[in-house]
Amino acid sequence: MTTTAEPQETKYTGKSQQRIEDPRLLTGHGTYIDDITVPRMIEGAVLRSPVAHARITRIDVSKAAELPGVFAVITGNDLVEFAGEQPVIWSVIPEQRIARAHALATDTVRWVGQGVAAVAAVDRYVAEDALELIEVDYEPLPVVADLEQALAPDAPKLYEDWPDNISGSMTFPAGDADAAFAEADVVVGASFRHHAGYGCSIETRGCIANWDVFAGKLDMWLGTQAPNLARDLLAQVLSLPVDKIRVRTPDLGGGFGLKFDFYPDEIIAAILSRRTKRPVKLLEDRQESFVSSSRARDMRHDFEMALRSDGTIIGLRGTAYAVLGGALGTVGSGPPWASVLACMGPYKIPNQELTLKAVMTNRSPYGSYRGWGMPKANIVHERLIEFAARKLGMSRIDLRRMNFPTPEEFPYFSGAAFTYDSGRYADCLDLATSAVNERGWNVRQREGREAGRSIGIGYGFHTEVGAFGPSRVLNMVGLDHSGFDEVRIRMDSTGKVTVLSGQSAMGQGTHTTYAQLAADGLGVPIEDVTIVTGDTESCPYTGYGTGGSRAATLGGAAIVNASGRLKSKILRIGAELLEANPDDLEISDGRVSVRGAADASVSTADIGYSAYRMLNGRLPESETPTLEEIDVFDPANMTTSYGCTALLVEVDRQTGAVTLLDCLQAHDAGVIINPLLADGQLAGGLAQAFGGGLFEEFVYDEDGQINTASFMDYLLPSATDIPPFHFYHQETPAPHIPGGMKGLGEAGTIAGVSVVASAIDDALSDLGVAVTEFPMTPPRLLELIRAAQSAGVTA
Amino acid sequence: MSDKHTVTVTVTVNGQVYTGDCEPRMTLADFLRHECGLTGTHLGCEHGVCGACTVLLDDVAARSCLTFAVQADGARITTVEGLAEGEQLNTLQKSFQEHHGLQCGFCTSGMLMCATELLRENPNPTETEVREGISGVLCRCTGYDSIVKSVMAAAGDQRDAVSEAGSAR
Ligand code: FES
Ligand code: FES
Repeated sequence: MTTTAEPQETKYTGKSQQRIEDPRLLTGHGTYIDDITVPRMIEGAVLRSPVAHARITRIDVSKAAELPGVFAVITGNDLVEFAGEQPVIWSVIPEQRIARAHALATDTVRWVGQGVAAVAAVDRYVAEDALELIEVDYEPLPVVADLEQALAPDAPKLYEDWPDNISGSMTFPAGDADAAFAEADVVVGASFRHHAGYGCSIETRGCIANWDVFAGKLDMWLGTQAPNLARDLLAQVLSLPVDKIRVRTPDLGGGFGLKFDFYPDEIIAAILSRRTKRPVKLLEDRQESFVSSSRARDMRHDFEMALRSDGTIIGLRGTAYAVLGGALGTVGSGPPWASVLACMGPYKIPNQELTLKAVMTNRSPYGSYRGWGMPKANIVHERLIEFAARKLGMSRIDLRRMNFPTPEEFPYFSGAAFTYDSGRYADCLDLATSAVNERGWNVRQREGREAGRSIGIGYGFHTEVGAFGPSRVLNMVGLDHSGFDEVRIRMDSTGKVTVLSGQSAMGQGTHTTYAQLAADGLGVPIEDVTIVTGDTESCPYTGYGTGGSRAATLGGAAIVNASGRLKSKILRIGAELLEANPDDLEISDGRVSVRGAADASVSTADIGYSAYRMLNGRLPESETPTLEEIDVFDPANMTTSYGCTALLVEVDRQTGAVTLLDCLQAHDAGVIINPLLADGQLAGGLAQAFGGGLFEEFVYDEDGQINTASFMDYLLPSATDIPPFHFYHQETPAPHIPGGMKGLGEAGTIAGVSVVASAIDDALSDLGVAVTEFPMTPPRLLELIRAAQSAGVTA
Repeated sequence: MSDKHTVTVTVTVNGQVYTGDCEPRMTLADFLRHECGLTGTHLGCEHGVCGACTVLLDDVAARSCLTFAVQADGARITTVEGLAEGEQLNTLQKSFQEHHGLQCGFCTSGMLMCATELLRENPNPTETEVREGISGVLCRCTGYDSIVKSVMAAAGDQRDAVSEAGSAR
C-alpha cells in the first residue's frame, strides 16, 4: 500500500465548493472542438455505407474530386497506404477471434454507417455536396441483423473463414454451481434483454488533424476522454513515433464513455490532412452519431439464481451474450465481460458459473458507455433477487440484507474477479428505506392505490467498481494499456500553484475537485490553484484515460501524495526563513507560521521567491531549487462504492406509460470531495439510466437498417420525464486510496435501470408482471399488462 | 465559391451590428458562430430537437439551427454572450453556478436562453412550469433537477431584486 499523506486541513475537501469552470461556460466562453479554428483549416465529411453487409464492387470518386472547393477524396485503398487496422485494446477472452477493420472499408462493409470514402473541402457544406457525387456499387451479402439470427445454426457468417459468428467465449467458475442448483430449494431465472443505446453526449465527437510531413508532426485537437491513449493509438495505427504526435483536448460537451473510444474518424482526418497538406476538421453530425459512435448496452443475459428456503443465496449461473458489431471497437468485448464479472453484485454467492459469449452481427461496433457493463450486471442480480423474494414470500429488503457481506468480512472476494475493499451495505440499505418512509412514499402509494392509481416503489442495490485499476492486473486480464495516474504539482515563484494532470475534464468538475484537494494538501487558498489538463505535450501520462471512476480516486490520490511531499519542502524552506524547526511550522491560507505564534510567518510568495529567484541565504543548501513534485499512483486494488436507490413511479395500465414521480439514493463512495458535484454525478447518471430503462433504443429492421437515427426517434429524456432527486451519503473511506475516495461517476447509470423494473413490478404487483426487457417502452409494457390480465382471467 | 449565389445579412447581436455575406442555405447558427465569431451558441442535433442552439430572436426563443440567416436579416438577437452584466454573471447565470445547473456546459447556452424567456413571461413559475418550460432543451449531464433548482432560485432572486428596487424608490 502506498503511504498515505492525509490532508492536514479540510477547508475545501468535503465542502460544496462552487465550480471554477462555471463562469467561462455560463457566458459562452467555453471552447469546444467545433469552436476551434486553426489557420488554413478545411473540413471533412465521411461517406457511410447505406447497407449492413455487402461487397464493394466499384467506387468512383471522380465527380466528387472535380467539385470546386474539394481538396481531396479518399477511399479505403488510399487509406491503407498510411494506416493499419483500427486498434482493439481489450482482449479479455482467451483465444478470441479479434475482427479488426480499417478506418475506411477496403472491400466489404459489415454495418450501416461503416466509412467507405471521405472528402476534405473548403467547408462542411461543400464536403457534404461532394459526398453525394461519389458512386459506390454494393453487391449485397446476407445480413445478420440481430443476436438470435447470428446464433442460428444456418446463420450467414460475417467472416467466411470462421466456423460461426462467435468471436469468443469463456466461463468463470467459483465453487460448484451444479451441486448448488441440485440442492437448491428455490431456483429463479429469466432471460434479460437490454437493447442498444449509446452515451449520446449533446456535443458529438470531433477532431482537427494537422499532419505536417515537413514539420514531421501530427498535431491533433480531439474531443477525447483519453488523450494519452489516443496518442499511443495514433502512433500504432499510423506507424509514427509517439514524440511526433501531440493530442490536445478542448472542453468536452460530455463524454460518458463514448468519447473514451478511438474512432476511425481520427485516422481519416489525419490522412485527409496529409493528403491536402492542410489541417482538417472532421465532426460527426447527430445523424451519423447513431451509426458512428460506440453502440452500447446491447446484450442478453440468461441467468438463474439458486437459494435455500431461508433465503440464503447459494448459486448463480448463466450465459451472457454480447451483441458485437461487424468489427471490434476499441474496447472489444470489455463491457460485456464486466457485466459478467460484476453480476453477483453485493451478494455473497459461493457457487457461480458465469459464461460470456461474444457474437458478431451486422451492427456498428460495440463500445464504451458510462457504467461499462455494470448496469446489466445490476439487472441480473437485482431482478433475480426480487423474483426470489416473491417466490419465497419474503420481503425484498430483508432478502437483500441477509445476503450482504458484513463489514467485518471485507476485503471481500466476490467470486469471479473483484475484491470489494470495504463497505457497510446493510447501513446503506437502511438509510434508503428510512428515507423512503421519511418522504412519505409508502403513504403516497397507499393513498394512490386507494384512489385506483398504480403506484409502485422500486428498490435497487448496486456496486460500482472504480479506481480502475492496478496496471499489472489489467494487463493480466487482457488490457493492452495501464491503469495508473500521474500528477505534477508545482508552486511557482509567486507562491501560486499549478497542477498538471492527464485526466480529461468533460463536465464532471475535475478542475474544481482537484483544486480543492491541492488547496487542502498545501494549505493555500483555492483561488491560488490552477489546474491544467488536455495536452499530451505538457500534461503527465495517465494510464487508460478518464473512465472507470478514476479521476477522483487515482488522480485525487496522486494529488494528495504529491502535495504532501511538496508541502514538506515548503515547510523546510519556511523553517530557514523563520529560523525555526520545520516540525514546528504549519501552512494555512498561504502563510507559513510557527504553530501557535502566527505573528512569525512568511507567505508562499516568499517561499516561491526563495526557491526560484533569490536562493542565496534563503533556500537551504540541501534543497534543490524549484518547487515541484510528481506522483504516480498505481492502486493496489480497485475500489467498490455502492448504494441503494429507490424510485416512486406511476403506471398507466391503459397506455403502458410510466411516470417517474420521485427518486432517492443512499450512497457510499468513501470520502466525498464535493457533495454538490457528487450529487450532480449521481443525478446525471440516474437520468441516463432512466432513458435506457424506458425510452432510448437503437431499433433495427431485418436488413440491419437503423430506424432511430434522429432525436425524433431516439428519445432522450427531457426535464418532464425525469423526477426530482434526493441523495443521502454515508462515508466508508477506501482503506487503500490516499484521501479515501472510491469514485462515483458511474453509480447512477448502474443503479437506474433495474430500479425502474422493480418499481413497475411493484406498481403492477396484483398482476404479477415481471419486467425483463429494456427499454420498457409503453407498447412493451402494455403487452406485459395484457398478457398478465388475460392469464389472470383464464386462471 | 465565386459562382455561388450569396446574400448579405445584417443582424444586431447583443447590441453589436454584424453584416456578412452568406449562401442562402447558411443557418443562423452557423452565421452566428462563423460570421459573428459567437461560438457560445452550440449545435447538438441540427434538426430542431435538442435546443442547444436556442437564441432570442427579437426577444422570442428560436432554434438557430432551423432558422436561415437570411430569415433573421434585420433582427435583434440575444445569445448567451449577451447575458452577463459587464464583468458580472447575471442573476440566472449566478444561480446556475450556485446550484450546479451545468456540468459540461454544452446545453447550457440553450438552457439559459430558454429560461431567460421563461422567467420574463412568468416571473413566478412553479416547479412543474419550469420543467415544462425547459423541456425543449435536452441535457445529458445533469438529470435536470439542479437546472430546475437554478431557475426556481433565480426567479426568487429576481423577485427580491425587484422588490428591493421598489422599496428603495
Ligand atoms: S441544434 Fe438546434 S435544436 Fe439541436
Ligand atoms: S450540462 Fe452537459 S448537456 Fe447539459
